[in-house]
Amino acid sequence: MSGFRLSLKHAPAVRVDLRGVLPAALAGWSVAQVEQLQVGHGRALVPLAEFFTVEPDGDDGMLRFVGDLSRCDRIGWQMGGGRLTVDGPAGHYTGGGMSGGALRVNGAVGLLAGCEMAGGQLTVDGDAGDFAASTLPGSMDGMRGGTLIVTGHAGQRFGDRMRRGTALVFGDAGDFLASRMVAGTIGIGGRAGAHVGYGMRRGSLVFATTAPQIAPTFVPAVADALVFWQLLARDLARHGGPFEALPSRAITRHLGDLASDGRGELILAT
Amino acid sequence: MIANGVAIDDSFAEAFPMKATRLVITAHTLTWAMNAAVSATGFATSVIACGCEAGIERELAPTDTPDGRPGVSVLIFSMSGKELAKQVERRVGQCVLTCPTTAVFAGISEGEAIALGKNLRFFGDGWQISKVIDGVRYWRVPVMDGEFVAQETTAVVKCVGGGNLLLMCTDTDAALAVAEAAVAAMKALPNVIMPFPGGVVRSGSKVGSKYATLGASTNDAFCPGLHGLAASSEITPQTRCVMEIVIDGLAEADVGAAMRAGMQAGIAIGAAGGLMRISAGNYGGKLGPFHFHLRQLLAAPATA
Repeated sequence: MSGFRLSLKHAPAVRVDLRGVLPAALAGWSVAQVEQLQVGHGRALVPLAEFFTVEPDGDDGMLRFVGDLSRCDRIGWQMGGGRLTVDGPAGHYTGGGMSGGALRVNGAVGLLAGCEMAGGQLTVDGDAGDFAASTLPGSMDGMRGGTLIVTGHAGQRFGDRMRRGTALVFGDAGDFLASRMVAGTIGIGGRAGAHVGYGMRRGSLVFATTAPQIAPTFVPAVADALVFWQLLARDLARHGGPFEALPSRAITRHLGDLASDGRGELILAT
Repeated sequence: MIANGVAIDDSFAEAFPMKATRLVITAHTLTWAMNAAVSATGFATSVIACGCEAGIERELAPTDTPDGRPGVSVLIFSMSGKELAKQVERRVGQCVLTCPTTAVFAGISEGEAIALGKNLRFFGDGWQISKVIDGVRYWRVPVMDGEFVAQETTAVVKCVGGGNLLLMCTDTDAALAVAEAAVAAMKALPNVIMPFPGGVVRSGSKVGSKYATLGASTNDAFCPGLHGLAASSEITPQTRCVMEIVIDGLAEADVGAAMRAGMQAGIAIGAAGGLMRISAGNYGGKLGPFHFHLRQLLAAPATA
C-alpha cells in the first residue's frame, strides 16, 4: 500500500479543509490522482497540488503532512484506520470524529482537537487549543471512545460533554476542565484551571501531580476504591510521563458534581 | 502392562465436549479470595444435578492478577453455554459479590462472551458505575465494605469433561492414599479441575438402571460388596476398594496430561502401597468423542 508525503508549499490565503485526505482513501492512488484531490479552500474547491507537493513515501500506507498546517483544518476528520502524521502544527478539528487508526501531530493543534472522536489514538506532541476532546456545538456527546494524548498543555473546556475513552494532558489544562462530562477518563499531569468538573455527571478525573481547586458541589469520598484505582492506574501508566508512577500512589477522591448526577470523581494522586 | 506391580488396563476413558470459563477472584487477602472461590465452586461435583462442575484451579500471586491483589482462579464447566451463563451468574452473585473485599475478572479472553458483572450490576440500584479501561468494561457496584468491581463479561470456550481414572486398591487406607497422591499430582497442572470432594469420587456410575426413571446407577462391576453377587465383577479378593478421579480440562491435552500425572503418582506408590490396578470408565466408545487410552498416555512423553 502506497504512502504519501504532502509538503506544504506556502501558507494558504484562507483556511483549507482537509477532510477526506485520509490514508485509507488514498490507498492505491497515484501521485497524480492525489494531486488532483479536491479540498476546500474558503468557499472554493481546489486541487491538493495547489498547496502541497505530493511525493510517494514508503509502502506502509502512511500519510505524512509536512509544514506549518495551522491554517489547515479537519486533518484526519472521521478517520477510520491507518496512520497519519503531521510534522508541524495543525489547525482546528484535528482528528475530529475519528473512529480508528493512529493520528500523530508533532506540533500544536487548534480548537476542537479530537472532538467527538470514537476510537483510535490521537497524539498531539504539543499544545491543544480550547475544546479538545469535546463536542461540536449542538451535539449531546463529546469524545466517545479512543485515546487522546496531549503532551503539552490544553486550553479551556477540555473534555466538555465527554462520554467515553481516555484523554490525557501531560501539562496544564485550562478552565472548565471536564465540564458537563458524562463519563470516561481524563488525566492531567500539571495544573488545572478554575471550575474543574463543572456539571460533570460521571467519569474520572485523575490529577497526577497537582490538586485542583475543588468546587463546593463535590464531596470528599470516605470509601476506598482500590481495585478500580489499580485497574485504571495501570492502564494510565502505560502512557508514561507524569502518569507512570500512578499505580504506586495513594489517592484521595472527591465525588460530584452534586449539581448534576454526582457520580463523577476527582482522583487526587498528588 | 505391569508398572511397579500395578496392572494398567488396555482400556480408555471416554470424555465429552463441554463449555467452560475461567474466573479470577481477587480479594484483600488470599484467605478471602479463597473463601469466595470455595463457596462459588461448592455443590458443583457433577452436571447431573449441580448444573455445572467447578473447582479451584490454582492460587494467584498479586503479580498475576489484574488488580495486584492475591487471587484464586476457578474453572466452571457445563454442558451448554446457556447453562454455564446461568451458573456463573448465580454463583458469582451469591458467593463472590457477597464475600468481603472480592473482585471478579474473566480468566479467559478469547471466546463467546457471557455475562459476569453485566447483570449483577443492577444490585447497585442505580448507583453502579460502568468503567471502560483499555477496551474492557468493568462495573463498580457500591457495597458495604466499599465497592464490588466485576468485569462485564467472561469468555466461554469448548473443553473436555469426564476424563477419569479408576484406582483399584487392596483396602480403604491404600485407596485413599493413592487417590490423594494422584489428585495432588493433577492439581499441580494448569487448566484442569477434579470436581468431586477432595478430587475423588467413590460412587462411580454406569449408564442406565433397572429403574426406568434413572439414567445412571451404581457401577456394580466395581462394587466390592457385590463381588460374587453381580453377574460380572471386576473385583478380586486383592482389589477390595476402588476410587475414581474425574478430570475436566480446557483442552484434550490438558485432561490427558492430568491423567498421566495421576497414573504416574499411583504407580510410584505401586503394588507395595496397595495399588493393584488402574482402569478407566467408558461407554464402549460410542458416546464421547474423546478417548484417553491409559497405556498410550503412559507411553507418550510428558508434554505438559
